[in-house]
Amino acid sequence: MLLYIVKRIGLSALIIFFAVLTLFALLNSIPGDPASIALGPRATPEVQAAYAEKMHLDKPIVIRFLIFAGNVVRGDLGSDVFTNRSVSHTLLEQLPYTLTLAAAALAWATLLGIPIGCLSAIRPNSWLDRLTGVISIGTIAIPSFLVSIWSILVFAIFLGWLPVIGAGDDGDIVDQLRHLILPAFAVGLGWVGYLARMVRASMLEVLGENYVRSARAFGLMNRTVVFRYALRVAILPTITLIGIGFGVLLSGTVFAEIIFSRPGLGKIIYDMVLARNFPVVQGAVLVTVALYVCVTLIADITVSLLDPRVRENL
Amino acid sequence: MNDISISRRFFLQTAAFASTASIAGTYPGISLAADGKTLRVRFNRDPESFDPGYYVGGHPNNDVNWLTMPALVHYGMRNGQPTWVPSPFVEHVTVRDATNIDFELKKGLMWTNGFGEVTTEDVAYSYARMTTSDWKNDYATFSHVEVTGSHTGTIVLSEPFSPFMNTTLASGTGIIVSKAATESVGGRFTTEVPASCGPYVYEMKQGQYVRLTRNPDWQGDMPYFDVIEGLIVTEDESAALAFEAGELDCAQVSSNSLARYSAELPPNSRLTVAGALQYMWLGMNTEHPKLQDIRIRKAIQRAVDQASVIAGAYSGTAEPSYGVVSPGLTGRRTSAGYAFDPEAARALVDEAGASGLELTLKTLNNQERVLSATIIQANLADIGINVTVMPVDAGPFWEMGQESKGDGWKDLELWIMRYGSGPDPYEPFQWFVRDQVGIWNWERWSSDEFEDLFAMGVMETDPSKRAEIYFRMQEIMEDTGAYVWLTHEPEVFVHRSDLSVQLAPSGEMQLTYFADV
Repeated sequence: MLLYIVKRIGLSALIIFFAVLTLFALLNSIPGDPASIALGPRATPEVQAAYAEKMHLDKPIVIRFLIFAGNVVRGDLGSDVFTNRSVSHTLLEQLPYTLTLAAAALAWATLLGIPIGCLSAIRPNSWLDRLTGVISIGTIAIPSFLVSIWSILVFAIFLGWLPVIGAGDDGDIVDQLRHLILPAFAVGLGWVGYLARMVRASMLEVLGENYVRSARAFGLMNRTVVFRYALRVAILPTITLIGIGFGVLLSGTVFAEIIFSRPGLGKIIYDMVLARNFPVVQGAVLVTVALYVCVTLIADITVSLLDPRVRENL
Repeated sequence: MNDISISRRFFLQTAAFASTASIAGTYPGISLAADGKTLRVRFNRDPESFDPGYYVGGHPNNDVNWLTMPALVHYGMRNGQPTWVPSPFVEHVTVRDATNIDFELKKGLMWTNGFGEVTTEDVAYSYARMTTSDWKNDYATFSHVEVTGSHTGTIVLSEPFSPFMNTTLASGTGIIVSKAATESVGGRFTTEVPASCGPYVYEMKQGQYVRLTRNPDWQGDMPYFDVIEGLIVTEDESAALAFEAGELDCAQVSSNSLARYSAELPPNSRLTVAGALQYMWLGMNTEHPKLQDIRIRKAIQRAVDQASVIAGAYSGTAEPSYGVVSPGLTGRRTSAGYAFDPEAARALVDEAGASGLELTLKTLNNQERVLSATIIQANLADIGINVTVMPVDAGPFWEMGQESKGDGWKDLELWIMRYGSGPDPYEPFQWFVRDQVGIWNWERWSSDEFEDLFAMGVMETDPSKRAEIYFRMQEIMEDTGAYVWLTHEPEVFVHRSDLSVQLAPSGEMQLTYFADV
């Protein structure tokens, strides 16, 4: 088990290294002079030169990468071009909002998606199965930005029940929860369908296994067979999906954060791209990638704990 | 400022301003404070710096600075026209003559963080540092501040500079900083202001808000609202939805939302126009081999249907442009020297033997401009010129005509350009003088007469003579054939109908003067 974990951590470090390399290459391949792009068209040559020196733009690209990678290893993500604030500090402020939104979205999607999947699997090809199938595919197909806009129109403008913008007042949990409902609904809706379909497929496979038939032959109640024995096995691929899903949601929250003007990594990446504030952009993308890798790592380790066959395959 | 027909003859420092502008007569009224009043407005981005010497300027930096930092003058209204007025920080401001401006600060206005009282030394320091700052052009003829007392002084200009009151002092670059506090942080700052002085103090959280609460040490008149929250909403449509949901009291709207609101406003709402100081045109590279023949350029001028661009790309919400001077400014023309005339354009193309000419039109990659380019493409196809529209991202776009960025300017043919201006007509012309060829004058022409007029316009204090100068300068530009005037996009705000708003002509909110009615 320990060897498996070490191997997975090594693989994750490699992924992060290549992500850093790719990110650096992408940012440096943007057409145009980085100083002009960052400072805008009216910046004086003196200001542009000062910026170039500060950002090491006057040095060869290999040296710039080594400086960048070295700083990342030391946990120094640089400073904001305009405000001089530490990028790490800025991201630490924003991160909790994204984590909260992703967790809330996935939580409600899981709580709804798994029972829907189970119900479908218990009565395959029934009207209930077909109905949940349509609902699941429907939620997968609707883009989250569309859900965001319609949920604002319905729940904020027409009904006036929930707020539209922001994350709520600091220290006021109720207000923060009210501000969380619509974005979490918009972000999580698609995952209800994914999880339901995954659980259904997995459950159908497991329910056909010999040990399930044996359990039924012993006269165990259907509820016990399904939820105590079958679901326990069928849930394994779903855990992996939830792990990946959380990682995807970390970047997938971007639409909701922009539309709901909610702080978070996605919104700050968007805002800073518009402002050409590349140190913040690269810091935020890097943190998102690292989180994605970490969450996937945790999901893989969890699955390997539950299913020994997985760790033998790495 | 609703339904403004902005014509600002009084706009500049002139002999008419030589008399003392007493606070009683011209000061924009501050409503009496009311307890528990909170105003929520949209800020379209995070402020990135409040240092007047080294900031980007505009909204929302100026909106906050005007609430938290001293200035000698603000924007206000005089005889129904937007112009400079003495700020709440002064007893008076007097334009004695074209190069001397006397002022007296109010006594007892204290800097925060224990940096003492606001004095003339602070004013002298603030303006002197601007002469070496990023905004030094605004202080081109500033000489010094003569300190005549702890609270009195005279601003001395080496030569008359007409935009000084309305552009230099009334805009954000006229903000006064604390000498001691600024020096204590090394001479410049960003969003952590070492000392402020105004009716409000601020706190901000990146990506969320700037919250302004009453400054307990403020000795002057109290504005109406106890708390002003500038909520950071970067997306235009989100801001419109938030306004409709009642979460914002005032928000700047996009041309999309403006078109929608022009058809039907949400209940209890009103639109207020701040100004239309953006100017957009179709530019032509006069040195490009395909465009060296002025007949082709003049044909293009006559082939572009400005009305279609305004209707198709801006839903009829933009003002037609007849030059670089925006509506409401001295020198604004009421018509262009050419008219939409496809027949005449076709004749010019035939005369030049240019039928079937292939050109490339480059534009920033955003909805309105790509639509504008597509309409122009159709217009030019009607006269036998085939245009390829090429949307370009901001980075490469802003380098296209700059010689310092390579040889790309040599291939530049047609482009759609939009610049912003301050509330003085000298500003747009500065980009088209000879020194700017290959920098911001991408059309690459120059004229001795234009140069002379530019120098005269800055020093001329008579508004009517100044208007004549700028009329002529626009004629010169137009006669090169290198410009097709397109639009002036308005800066429009939607707000509660029971909220009285005051907007700077350059589009910022003067929140000090907002009040419920």
